Amino acid sequence: MGAVVVEGLTKDFSGVTVLQHINLDIKEGEFFALLGPSGCGKTTTMRCIAGFEKPTSGRIKLGDQVVNDLAPNERNCGMVFQSYALFPHMNVFDNVAYSLNIKQLRKSNLFKKLGVYTRMFNSKLVKYPKEMKQKVMDVLAYVELTDHAHKLTSELSGGQQQRVALARALVMEPQVLLMDEPLSNLDQKLRHTMRNTIRKMQQDLKITTIFVTHDQEEAMSMADRVAVMKDGQILQIGTPTDLYSNPQSPFIADFVGTSNILPGTFLKHEAGITTVKIGNQEIKSVTKTDQQDVQVIIRPENIKVLEEASITDDNSFEGTIEVATYLGSTVRYEMKVGDYRLIADTIYESGHRILQEGYKVRLGVSPERVLLI
Amino acid sequence: MKRLKKHLTGIGIIKLLLYAFFILFLVIPLVAVFIVSFTNEPINFFGSFISMETMQTTIDQLKHATLDNFKSVFQNTRYLDALLNSLYLSFVVSIVVLLICVPIAYGIARTKLPFKKTISALCTIPLIVPTFISGYAFIIMFGRSGWVTYLYQALGGEGLFIDPYSLTGIAIVQIFFFFPYALWPMVAAFKVSDVSLEEASRNMGAKGWLTFCTVTFPLVIPGMLSTALVIFAVSFSDFGTPIVLAPTDLNLLVVQAYREIAGFYNWGGAAILTLIMIAVAGFVYWVQNFFFKGKNYDSVSGKPKQSKLNQNKLVTVPIAVFSGIVVLVPLLAMLTVFLQSIATTWGKDPLPKGYTLAHYKMIFTSSLGNIQNSIVLALGALVLSIIISVFVSYFVVRQQAVTLDFMTTVPLIVPGIAFGIALIQTFNVAPLQLTGTAAILIIAYSIRRLPYMVRSTVGTMKSIKADIEEAAISLGASTLTAAITIIGPLMIPGIAAGSLLVFITVIKETSISILMAPAEWAPMSLAIFQNILRAEYYSAAAMSIILVVLVLVLQAIANLFTRKQSD
Repeated sequence: MGAVVVEGLTKDFSGVTVLQHINLDIKEGEFFALLGPSGCGKTTTMRCIAGFEKPTSGRIKLGDQVVNDLAPNERNCGMVFQSYALFPHMNVFDNVAYSLNIKQLRKSNLFKKLGVYTRMFNSKLVKYPKEMKQKVMDVLAYVELTDHAHKLTSELSGGQQQRVALARALVMEPQVLLMDEPLSNLDQKLRHTMRNTIRKMQQDLKITTIFVTHDQEEAMSMADRVAVMKDGQILQIGTPTDLYSNPQSPFIADFVGTSNILPGTFLKHEAGITTVKIGNQEIKSVTKTDQQDVQVIIRPENIKVLEEASITDDNSFEGTIEVATYLGSTVRYEMKVGDYRLIADTIYESGHRILQEGYKVRLGVSPERVLLI
Repeated sequence: MKRLKKHLTGIGIIKLLLYAFFILFLVIPLVAVFIVSFTNEPINFFGSFISMETMQTTIDQLKHATLDNFKSVFQNTRYLDALLNSLYLSFVVSIVVLLICVPIAYGIARTKLPFKKTISALCTIPLIVPTFISGYAFIIMFGRSGWVTYLYQALGGEGLFIDPYSLTGIAIVQIFFFFPYALWPMVAAFKVSDVSLEEASRNMGAKGWLTFCTVTFPLVIPGMLSTALVIFAVSFSDFGTPIVLAPTDLNLLVVQAYREIAGFYNWGGAAILTLIMIAVAGFVYWVQNFFFKGKNYDSVSGKPKQSKLNQNKLVTVPIAVFSGIVVLVPLLAMLTVFLQSIATTWGKDPLPKGYTLAHYKMIFTSSLGNIQNSIVLALGALVLSIIISVFVSYFVVRQQAVTLDFMTTVPLIVPGIAFGIALIQTFNVAPLQLTGTAAILIIAYSIRRLPYMVRSTVGTMKSIKADIEEAAISLGASTLTAAITIIGPLMIPGIAAGSLLVFITVIKETSISILMAPAEWAPMSLAIFQNILRAEYYSAAAMSIILVVLVLVLQAIANLFTRKQSD
């Protein structure tokens, strides 16, 4: 039984289908990423789970409850917004305490309700109960914001605002934590730190988390499983390593990491080795295929670049270097092979020289590293 | 049924209530006026729903519907005259206002005008003064025993310099007290029009005045025409000046409509006049929107640059003198009212015989109630319009409620006297007999001033992003709770800005007060009006001064607020 189950979710916006039959089964305590380019429907999927959009058809289950008809405020989904959506007229403490106030509001009689409302307008007028205060301070301590509790949110840095948004969602002990591109407003360096912070927090609290992002690096480095979306459909769901080494479509091969994608035609299949023709070259692969036209996918790091003709691999070609880019630990070569261009990443060892433009080289790829789709 | 239940959340109920409010107090009254213009007698709209008998009567009335009233517009010379006179008055006023404003606006925007600050400050005086007080001020200046008349006769003139009780008198009052409505938009137009175009003209050899006539002036023409239409509408629906100054033989639409209702109880006649007023005002509003929306001053601008101010004394000094004379008239009018309010007696002399504070004392002992009424009614209208406009702007911005948006702009085109007549007709009889209560008065005030408030709150609402509200909802708040705890507090600046405007305009309000206020709820404006009718000029003057001071104080508070915000 999954913590979040989405069955056949379809969403139309005035006749335009933005989600087509989405199926998800997210496990308890899993960190699940929805990855895709902008406009692919990942945010809409999340907003359907949160209840801000009504599905045109399909079912959404949280735990064992079907929530299709449940208002968003009754779903107990903690949400972290791309813009953080902190309440600008409240300080950090009041922001975090908001959901606790609401909970109290629901339980109280009219007189107490007035007290809670007053506190939400100005927390100086009506005091927080002790246990509520403790709970907020605990969460603030967890995100290392204890010292900032009484600052206005506008006085905080981007990273601190992000942590307030996180704390505000966590304090309600949500059944699912939903995060919509939470890192996109941070600078490069902070983004890396926050990735670790969020991942660690998720591991500590074992909280089921759905994370929406367009950044494949973010999704791959944080999530237990990733669903790659395009044009309102899910293309593939898998662990990051699975997606990387076994992409089921050229789009994923290209979107998740970098790939050389070449069109080929099937020649023969013998003794577990498939031979495919690309232009006037032949290439061998261990992938089985029954298609006539295939896409040949080779990751750049799986191509060996050698100066001499000492290749022992089954696949070896001749190429000419067009561009060489030095990237610190690696060197990226863009080469012309026949009518095609290939990218190869090689490890740079100090003392080695970088091959220059126009240099003739031999390339080798082992058949295990050649993928046919 | 299930669908209905789904919509009956807290916020859904409020939306229904809003629609109910607008239908009850805006749509039905206007529709009723339309029907009455055929039936010639008031129909009991609400009674028809609860009593078969009333329903039968209403149906009978509808069966006897005639087009007589519509024919009478063209046959009854009273009505036709009223329409033509009103149109003529508004046309003359808007043309003259334009002619007056062009040099002053140019002076303020583009020249080193001597005493520019003083002149600008004095230009706001007319905006503070309710028009019936201006009209009354003209009576005590230009009337038979006015000091202007004294001076005129002392200089050898015969009779009156200008008869205040005439179309000319009304036009003059409106011109001198409405010109600021046109002045400030025109100043803005002169300020933003691209100075580099003028420099180009000069560069090609055109002299200063030639540049003005061929480049500067043509560039602000769209802005000017648009403001002329505004003045036309303001003059057309103005009730204060005509009701005080129009002689019995002068028919104007607003006055005629008032007389039909208050004098003859001629419901059909009042209804047809109301329809005409709404039609004309609506047409002007439509033309203004259709032709000039978004095409005004910004269309003629490149980048607004710091313009070089014209320092030519031959230009600035005449403009300063001219502006001085224009702003001096309203100032003298108010000074005259002030002198009258502290005069023992003031006959046909340049100055009063003696001075006293007795009139003020009398007001504070015997007419304190009117001041209280004004404040209570204005506060009531304020609270009502805040509540309505906050929710209206929520629905307009978040749920694209086009109908609500439209309904809040309708009061803009319905002249006060027309709206008053519509309300009286609709709520005159049981079961919903509200005419003569404070409640209908407050409702009328707030609906009339709602456009100001809604404009202000919609602006603020647009600046509050939708995800802030969604954040509150995801944290467990219902839409209503989110509105109360998040949206509400964030809207306070917008509410504050609109509030003072509503409060001030309600205190100044004339047409609704005179037409609808019952004796026990008489606000200051009605008290002053009645004093003028009874020729109790001294207490009218004192009360007018109190009203103007009250408005001034509120205006000062408003300025303080807006300055704080912009800091």
